Amino acid sequence: MSRTLLRSLLELRAAAPARPSALRPALTTTATTRSLHQTPSQIDPLPQTQSSAALPPSPPKPSPTSIPRCGGAPRTTSPATPETLQLLPLLALQPGNKYLQLYIQGQSYLVTPGDQIRLPFKMPGVVPGDVLRLNRAVAIGSRDFTLKGSPYVDETLFECRAVVEGTEAEPMRLKIKKKQRCRRTKTVRSKHKYTVLRVSEVKILAPGQEGQQ
Amino acid sequence: MSYFRITLHRSAIGLPARTRGVLAALGLHKRSQTVYHPVEAQFAGMIMKVKELVKVEEVERKLDKWEVKAERRPDSGFYLEKMAPRMEDEGQKVGSRVLARLRGEDESQVVEGVRREGGGEVRV
Repeated sequence: MSRTLLRSLLELRAAAPARPSALRPALTTTATTRSLHQTPSQIDPLPQTQSSAALPPSPPKPSPTSIPRCGGAPRTTSPATPETLQLLPLLALQPGNKYLQLYIQGQSYLVTPGDQIRLPFKMPGVVPGDVLRLNRAVAIGSRDFTLKGSPYVDETLFECRAVVEGTEAEPMRLKIKKKQRCRRTKTVRSKHKYTVLRVSEVKILAPGQEGQQ
Repeated sequence: MSYFRITLHRSAIGLPARTRGVLAALGLHKRSQTVYHPVEAQFAGMIMKVKELVKVEEVERKLDKWEVKAERRPDSGFYLEKMAPRMEDEGQKVGSRVLARLRGEDESQVVEGVRREGGGEVRV
């Protein structure tokens, strides 16, 4: 087992003594068989939990609330498998901020709590102070674990809120259009506005525990 | 009745006027545009004239223009959870439809299942 992984597991054991007993035998056996002074020759891969990655593609069932296909960002979300729910507390209890890879209007952003996002457009109808709930995440990660959705992570597993901070504007751009051998020029002025968000919180909702930030 | 779902895949720039005329008759004016026509001999003949430029699929239901646009639109990725108090006379008036879409209550964004991604269930 890699040293970072072992350290994180020992921290978890110290942090949360009341964990489900099903997990405990697996963790303690691997921890006690090796000591901290050993440098293992093989590095175990970090467990990458995927929700329903092993399910065979089912024939499409007509549903009134289906999301149509789109040519940009993926559109489907798969519900979390029991394996995901069992391993999620490991991710949630790790110290430090968790990161999210989100999709907003088809564009992906990697955020941690406290990040500022400058969207490439002005969001209509919002004022500074509005709270947006971001719900399309492709990956959630902590220091040693990553939860990857296929293609999106189940919305009920996390909460991510962003506050609208305001609107920024680019410097004024002048486009001067002029043809050869003609004196008339046409000037087009552009000053686009961009909405700025601040990610206020990222919470993992592990089942059976309070969400860890 | 079933329909042809016709998508212009190759551009008509540089092609003869007759071919452009066929595309105009089908209603295809720009690349990646999608139109629906009923499965009849006259439309099949038009498709055969421009078969190298288009992609055709046979479907049961004809989608409206807004439904075709909704297919291409990505998920917004957010919804408005809490609104801050608005000032009385806002500089920019915002329509109720915009607010409904922000809150995720806009039903026109969701279209009955015509095409789905392979694998996994679909959740709203």
